Amino acid sequence: MIWLIAKKDFLLNLLSVRFIIGFVLCLVIIPFTIIVSVDDYLAKQNSYEIESKQAADELSGHRVWSAVRPTVVTKPEPLSIFSSGISANLGNRVKIAFDTYPLFPTGHTVTQDNPLLNAFFSIDFSRVVAILISLIALVFAYDTITREREDGTMKLSLTGQVSRISFLFGKLLGLILTLLPILLFCYLLACLIIILNPAISFSATDWGSIALMFLISMFYMLIFILLGMLISSLVKRSSSSIILSLLCWIWFLFLMPNISTYLSQSIAKTPLYDNVQVAISEYEKEFYEKDEERQKQLNDEMGGDVWVVYWNANMGRDGFLEFSGTLKEAVEHARQMQVWKWPTALDYADKKWVLQRDYLDKMLSQQRLQQTIAFFSPSEIFRQTTEILCHTSVDDFQKYMESVRNYRETVIRYFADNKLYESLRYFTVQTWDQFPSQKEFDRSSGSIEDLFTVLRKIPADQYEPLNLDNLPRFEARQATIFSMFADALGRMAVMIGLGILLLLGTILSFMRYDVR
Amino acid sequence: MLQAIDLTKRYEDGHLALDALNLEIKPGEIFFLLGANGAGKTTTINLLLNFIEPTLGKALVNGIDVMEQPLETKKHIAFVSENVMLYGSFTACQNLDFFARLGGKTNLTKKDYYDVMRRVGLQEEAFERKLKTFSKGMRQKVGLAIAIIKDADNIVMDEPTSGLDPKSAAELMQILIHLRNSGKAILMCTHDLFRAKAAADRVGIMKEGRLVMLRTREEFLQDDLERIYLDYMQEAVL
Repeated sequence: MIWLIAKKDFLLNLLSVRFIIGFVLCLVIIPFTIIVSVDDYLAKQNSYEIESKQAADELSGHRVWSAVRPTVVTKPEPLSIFSSGISANLGNRVKIAFDTYPLFPTGHTVTQDNPLLNAFFSIDFSRVVAILISLIALVFAYDTITREREDGTMKLSLTGQVSRISFLFGKLLGLILTLLPILLFCYLLACLIIILNPAISFSATDWGSIALMFLISMFYMLIFILLGMLISSLVKRSSSSIILSLLCWIWFLFLMPNISTYLSQSIAKTPLYDNVQVAISEYEKEFYEKDEERQKQLNDEMGGDVWVVYWNANMGRDGFLEFSGTLKEAVEHARQMQVWKWPTALDYADKKWVLQRDYLDKMLSQQRLQQTIAFFSPSEIFRQTTEILCHTSVDDFQKYMESVRNYRETVIRYFADNKLYESLRYFTVQTWDQFPSQKEFDRSSGSIEDLFTVLRKIPADQYEPLNLDNLPRFEARQATIFSMFADALGRMAVMIGLGILLLLGTILSFMRYDVR
Repeated sequence: MLQAIDLTKRYEDGHLALDALNLEIKPGEIFFLLGANGAGKTTTINLLLNFIEPTLGKALVNGIDVMEQPLETKKHIAFVSENVMLYGSFTACQNLDFFARLGGKTNLTKKDYYDVMRRVGLQEEAFERKLKTFSKGMRQKVGLAIAIIKDADNIVMDEPTSGLDPKSAAELMQILIHLRNSGKAILMCTHDLFRAKAAADRVGIMKEGRLVMLRTREEFLQDDLERIYLDYMQEAVL
């Protein structure tokens, strides 16, 4: 009997205008959305390739270890075509530094060539599916009970050998059979556009993610079908049902996300990053004071009159120092300073990280609160789940940044294990013998030509760049389909739980429904 | 056989729609239940069809309590409503097929559907036409065809002649008489005294939820049914 009713409803829906409208809407909106997203992804990919090459060129050109600070360029996620998540709002580059921990990426965030076009936001596939499928599901389900009652067909049906529960499940199955082809059509259309584009290649795991996304979309669709059916079983007229259904739709898709953000910001406050930066500046000031103090102390230890002058010296952030002509004493001074500076800078990086970590934790707890409040909206759970499956969620970003921080540790360990920070090559391309001592220098005539001879200055660009073959390279963690499934499982369970609640509510309501 | 034993229905708002109704409609009998609007006729049908729960008493179909075994009783009862709507996007034949299957008749052929539609007087050209193009009379005929094809022992009808032209109403009565002769118990709630006089084996008049009068065919033909009915209606108005 369930199948009989489902088949009847499927055929009736198939002949309805709303089915054609639903299909046409998908046919127009889905390709357009995917094409825009593909374009965005290809722009990101292009930017990634250029910046990766720049980063590699920059790294390979370094002659001293103090300049070696790798840049991690974030590879765009192909699945961001389906759900862009947080990836659209974050930079794509992280410079590894020893005096500070990486907190957020910098660099390329927008993909429009014309930044003024960014005022016109674009929505991704998962957002379109969330809006379209929920709307179509409600439009089909809002009158599933009321229409039968208004038409008098429910009375006639219930005089047949069909229980109310079978009737209800038949209606539910009929709606699923009607809407499933629309949903499948959306996914097939999107996948077809991807497959036909030779510039995009999806791995087996990516296809697995899309399959899981389809499964989640089915749950999502089912929730809105059940919501429509519940509303339809609570009221007598289709006119009341459509108004309530649309109100619920607006509430879940548009109001609830904003409310959850507003509430999370009101409940869990985050400090201003300016305050964190002031505290970080204090640490940096303290470090420079200690640095000066240490320099004086070292000067005293080395006899009090070390002539610390470098020819062709370059200095920069994060202890960068490169010189190519000075005295042995100055070299030793620089080396000794580095022996002190290296652990001290790392120490201060840890201190600054405590402040940054606290700031990050507070932001994360605010974000988690927002996500928890948003659990009251099926569309938000759907969004969060698709972001997890497309590796564009905040958690994925956090894991990525954690791996970047781990990479920083690996690079530091490499420097420490190879004692690079206390080697001459940390700041100069010259060998120890190539530097004159103070005495040798004092014996020189003082003319520029003689000075150059004494200092044995050789232009730095005549030296070979460093061999960085053994320098650890950053490798992003590759998620497996199982790990993604495990990550998404909690939200899937919430969706299933919500579906079960709505089903029970609909059954209870329909069992008491006045069919007259 | 349809039975109502002390059947009582009081709605949530306190309105007593049916007050201890005792009634029995035997196989091979057409019972006309007459009464003003709100007298309790439709409530009786709704209770027999298990659309609503009784406050007190029992409704039985072939001796089976509709509350205890609703699905079992539905095998033995068919229903024709006042305003048969059905599924407008389906043809008459598709509607018939769907409701026949829903009634448990799964081995019927198109020929069976065509036969029953001919029997209720539906024109051949309408068999495969979508129901949304049908007049009310044509829809009523399809509704009756659905009730007939179910081949239930009992048929319950709620104002089935309402809106029908005299010819169609007369045809409907002929079909009912034929069904009665084949052993069906038929309960018909109506205002149509003319049809009651023409086809009823017994009539009952309901007033304010109670069965106030019960007459056999011989009795109401002797007593002038119209006068009796009007007397009761007059009292109801007063």
